[in-house]
Amino acid sequence: MKALIEFQEVCKYYHMGDTTVVAADHISFQVYQGEFVAIVGQSGSGKSTCMNIIGCLDVPSEGTYLLDGRDVGQMNKNELAEIRNELLGFIFQQYNLLPKLNLLENVEVPLMYAGVPKKERRERAKVALEMVGLADKMKHRPNELSGGQQQRVSIARALVGEPSVILADEPTGALDSRTGREVLGILQELHAAGHTVVLITHDNSIAVQAQRIIRLEDGRVIYDGPADAPEAVVTPRAAGRFGGVPS
Amino acid sequence: MSILESVELAVKNIVSSKTRTFLTMLDIIIGVAAVIVIVGLGNGLEQYVTDSFSGLGTNTLTVTVMSRGSTRTLSVDDMYAIVDENSQYLDLCSPTVTMPGMVKIGSETVSTTSVQGVSEDYLDIAGVTVSSGRRLQYSDMANREKVCVIGAYLDQAYYGGNAVGQTLRVGGQSLTIVGVLAQQDDTLEEGGSDDCLYLPYTTASRIAGDVSSYIVTMREEDYIDESVAALESALYEVFASDDYYTVTSMAEMLETMTSMINILVGVLAGIAAISLVVGGIGIMNIMLVSVTERTREIGIRKSLGAKERYIMEQFVIEAACTSALGGVIGILLGDGLSAVASTVVTRLMEETLTVAPTLSAVALAFGISVGIGILFGYLPAKKAARLNPIDALHYD
Ligand SMILES: Nc1ncnc2c1ncn2[C@@H]1O[C@H](COP(=O)(O)OP(=O)(O)O)[C@@H](O)[C@H]1O
Ligand SMILES: [Mg+2]
Repeated sequence: MKALIEFQEVCKYYHMGDTTVVAADHISFQVYQGEFVAIVGQSGSGKSTCMNIIGCLDVPSEGTYLLDGRDVGQMNKNELAEIRNELLGFIFQQYNLLPKLNLLENVEVPLMYAGVPKKERRERAKVALEMVGLADKMKHRPNELSGGQQQRVSIARALVGEPSVILADEPTGALDSRTGREVLGILQELHAAGHTVVLITHDNSIAVQAQRIIRLEDGRVIYDGPADAPEAVVTPRAAGRFGGVPS
Repeated sequence: MSILESVELAVKNIVSSKTRTFLTMLDIIIGVAAVIVIVGLGNGLEQYVTDSFSGLGTNTLTVTVMSRGSTRTLSVDDMYAIVDENSQYLDLCSPTVTMPGMVKIGSETVSTTSVQGVSEDYLDIAGVTVSSGRRLQYSDMANREKVCVIGAYLDQAYYGGNAVGQTLRVGGQSLTIVGVLAQQDDTLEEGGSDDCLYLPYTTASRIAGDVSSYIVTMREEDYIDESVAALESALYEVFASDDYYTVTSMAEMLETMTSMINILVGVLAGIAAISLVVGGIGIMNIMLVSVTERTREIGIRKSLGAKERYIMEQFVIEAACTSALGGVIGILLGDGLSAVASTVVTRLMEETLTVAPTLSAVALAFGISVGIGILFGYLPAKKAARLNPIDALHYD
């Protein structure tokens, strides 16, 4: 089987004056069609860097990133925009809905940039809103909704273009634990329906909801395996600090 | 995403912040309105000048004699002789004695009427016919008859259309009305072309003094320079100096006046157009602010697959729509102001002057305002399109 997402020795450097920050240090992993992967790590471990690269918002400084077999590092801005539109569905911590548009129009945006005709766009956006249970509110503005509802709209927007990968960046970060669980539930349903989901979080209790965990520390992968393995949620550093065996 | 949808999106954005949009457009509105009123005023002025000259066709020359101070004089007969001698260029001639408005009809004094002493050829020169009664004729001149022909306005306003045979007084001299002229203007108005009176120049010069100006027609309008030269050399022979006469061609005078008006209008419109440029800079400022405010929106749109071209298009179209809307409002305002100006000027000058916005001025003003929107929207749009999606997404 061909990997949908393939990181080959991906590095990302940020130059700040004289110093160079290594945000991603030779990261390699593969995500296959239909997987539910959580990328987890503490603040500063390189999650956002990975997420930006996976999301084609940024390109690696070194190494290769293949998305659906295509080398993203070789693409220009236009091609990256096309890839984002076709292959990726984003779910952000802050929902990132457009405040001046109603829910239906918000969900339509990716289709608009894909050049889908207006009528078909309407229909597909309606279906996507129905899927997250908000069809009755489609003429409302985002600010008339609760946080959980807004996040459901952004899930509808992520799904509407039928992307290959759903990329969720701290999707529950701004929600209370109950609505957070609801949103996670939806992601699990999507996974069950065959979607590929990549979840980025700093929270172990959320990461374990996924099928597989990739743990980052200082820009390096320190664990890549099933979410239910005991070592998946223990960082060596924490283990060391609490008397565990230092790595 | 089609242009139409981009326009729809832009209009939505414009409408959602009405006050700001209005303030942004203000300079454009003022500039466009000013350009339209000024160009309209220029056209009205040009029309007015042309109208007042066209009474005496553009094939006429005016000779004014200032014999005071000269030992020599030019009699009416001398002038006729000159015209005869140059008959290859010159055709008809009429002395003109302009008299200050002092017509008395019964006990009523009419001050708006233009009163002129002329020859029997004058009506041909002016291209006016008589609708009832007779024209002035050679015998009226020779005998200094106390007769006159009057314009249709006087006939209708004071004699109920039966003026022929009645009398009136000019400068204390009683005159018998022998003819009424055919109506010239569309409507009869006080002070209009039909508010006029012509009497034999011989009679007129008794009241108002010697004949000092003549109107001469040319056989060929194409030979203005030759005709003027012929007249001037003949007059030079009489006076042995060129200080005592002037020869003016109506066509040249009209041309001079028209070009003066055009220069004036050009300068004024240019000044008004500066306001359009200022308006463009205003749009650029507001758009730059708007780009900053909407950084996050731009980031979101980019993450959802918007190419730079779309973002660019969105902002340029928004700027163009804003200034186009300003242009439309300016055009409406300009039309309204033109109507007001027409009324005011007409009332103040007691002359009909129509401030008429031309279609081309309106089209040009609209085009320029859209162009300014695109021009000054370009820089902010470029800035928006170039934003790094990651930074834009995390901007707050
Ligand atoms: N734009 C940037 N410029 C400089 N350093 C950055 C930038 N983005 C991230 N970093 C650095 O790279 C490292 C990884 O950051 P990040 O990927 O944001 O981690 P996380 O999302 O896990 O908190 C951190 O040390 C961070 O300070
Ligand atoms: Mg982060």
